[in-house]
Amino acid sequence: MNKRIFINRSGGGGKRGWQNYALDCPPELTVLDALFVIQQRQDPTIAFRCSCRVGMCGTCGLQINGVPGLACKTRLADIGDKDVFLAPLPHFTVIRDLVVSLAVFFEQWRKVLPALRPRDPESKELAKIPAESTYARNTPGKRDCITCGLCFAACGILAMSKHYLGPAAINKALLRVLDPRDTAREERLDILNSSHDGVWRCHTQMNCVAVCPKGIDLTESIGLFKRRLLLKNGELES
Amino acid sequence: MISPRILVRTYLSPLVGTTAWFLQRVTGLLLLFYLLLHVETVHQLSAGPVAFDRAMAAFKNPLFRLLEIGLLGVVILHALNGIRIMVIDFGVATRHQKRLFWGLAVIAGALIFIAGAVPLFLHSVMGR
Repeated sequence: MNKRIFINRSGGGGKRGWQNYALDCPPELTVLDALFVIQQRQDPTIAFRCSCRVGMCGTCGLQINGVPGLACKTRLADIGDKDVFLAPLPHFTVIRDLVVSLAVFFEQWRKVLPALRPRDPESKELAKIPAESTYARNTPGKRDCITCGLCFAACGILAMSKHYLGPAAINKALLRVLDPRDTAREERLDILNSSHDGVWRCHTQMNCVAVCPKGIDLTESIGLFKRRLLLKNGELES
Repeated sequence: MISPRILVRTYLSPLVGTTAWFLQRVTGLLLLFYLLLHVETVHQLSAGPVAFDRAMAAFKNPLFRLLEIGLLGVVILHALNGIRIMVIDFGVATRHQKRLFWGLAVIAGALIFIAGAVPLFLHSVMGR
């Protein structure tokens, strides 16, 4: 299988602009495998990031033919076209070539107070979460976030407003707000209710759901907060 | 020199959600323009029946007849995509937003448009 791979390179004193690499490879190769082949056989200066190679760590995120995705989870055969265009994730500062800094993502993440604030931090008692509780019913699937930043990169609102919290941070806040052990519920709801950077900035494009490698329904998490904030005493129920 | 193909691939999002969002904004602006034109035309009534008839005469030419058919398409797309967004805002079918866009806003919208546009075209443009 012949593929032409275009890589948008920049930063770090290396090559700049779109570089074209021709590759003759088996179809089961992933984009990450292809990057390793290019690095080993054609251009050792190319920079990209990876860790687990099996879609668990979320470090190999990049833009593949215009759509944010994990390089290790995308097979060249599934892309279809002969040409593959690889670029760094948008909305992030490029360190070099396909490597971006996720600092802006974690800045927003910190704003929603992601850490649990228990009533008694010294308590040794294990939490009891009944299967019929709101937390148990609404959080399966939403706890799988690997903080890869793909939802942040795909979000069209973040292209216009750098203040928006972003889907992953809001989903994290949902997990904390629903957690019966947590005590910072109202504080988080105030942060999410901000017209400047809170849930109201979401325009329901659903790009976050489309690109999430873990299949988390992030738009539903945002919608739950919107309905809860509109109906002052409403429950966070899907 | 970067080829247009590369520019399109990099900067125009192929994600359906963005396309639907963009179309909703564009059709919204077109409807706003139509509303202003409509208010301005109706406002001519305050200047008397002659002024109103003169304003209405401007819309009798074939170009405006075709734009009227275009307006039907804009209204249908904006309304059906709006329903799709409302459904999703209520937490229903968030995972089926792509199918909802293609099925409801595009395919059903096109069928409603054809059902309305054909008689409109025959009546107001062809004069049958």
